[in-house]
Amino acid sequence: MDEFNNRMNTQRLVLEAVNKKNYSEELFGLSSPAIARWIEKNHLQSNSRMVELVFAVSKKLLFIATKSQEQVSSEYQKMSLEISMILEAISLEVD
Amino acid sequence: MHIYAFGSVCRGDVTNESDIDLLALVRGQDSRFNPDKFSIYTYQKIDELWRSGNPFAWHLTLESKLLHSTDGVDYLHELGRPNPYISGFADCSRFRILVSEARASLKNRSRTVVFDFSTIFLGIRNFATCFSLAMCETPIFSRDSALRLGGYSVPIDSACYEILQRARLLSSRGIGENLNSENVQSVIDKMNVIDDWMDKLLDMVKNNGRIQQ
Repeated sequence: MDEFNNRMNTQRLVLEAVNKKNYSEELFGLSSPAIARWIEKNHLQSNSRMVELVFAVSKKLLFIATKSQEQVSSEYQKMSLEISMILEAISLEVD
Repeated sequence: MHIYAFGSVCRGDVTNESDIDLLALVRGQDSRFNPDKFSIYTYQKIDELWRSGNPFAWHLTLESKLLHSTDGVDYLHELGRPNPYISGFADCSRFRILVSEARASLKNRSRTVVFDFSTIFLGIRNFATCFSLAMCETPIFSRDSALRLGGYSVPIDSACYEILQRARLLSSRGIGENLNSENVQSVIDKMNVIDDWMDKLLDMVKNNGRIQQ
């Protein structure tokens, strides 16, 4: 599958998982400004578990973005696995 | 190390929503550059983009300005013109799929509407840029490239386009007013028009041949 589209789909999965929790304003994206807006609009604590998980997955996706022109490496595969684990942790936070 | 400005600021195509696109060319990992503010590329990666005739290489060739060079050399200028752009159909197909996936998501979910609209905006913009690179005498790198293809521009009204653009700003820069249900429905009603436009232009790229803008 195309790497760029794959990354967008992963971002969608993360947003879908986070937004299951009924925030007064949803998380619209995983860029730093979008996350900052979500924290402010929902009066979230920056050290809360959910905020930490969202920042963590944002950082991982950014790492993959900078690798987008390179061949899939073991480092990339490890990163994809870590994203899956964070996604699972987000789902647990919502439940 | 080389630092360039590129995009709207180099075109003079500036609005109050414009940001300044900055490119840093570095040898390896360089923690001085904030990835939220800079597109960070190694020289090796940039050379690869030039060799493959990548749209970003063409963008930089046609719309970038050197801001700083540690060796006094304009690295991108020295690279000359990238190889010809030959991946128009593959790239347009990729962005066609991106928009289709966002549309499918809109049908199935309600929690990612802003992101899905943002993805549609990104998809039609990049699709139009790749179309222009493959088919037009003058490529269009503007964020409004989908509206700047003359008779081949996306046939949606400005209100619908602005809602997609708002979604993009919300999703990428966290600014602007959230969308309401009326906004959302007005775009969903136009999705068939966007689909038909993309399919028509994709056929043109597949069959190749330059067009008059």
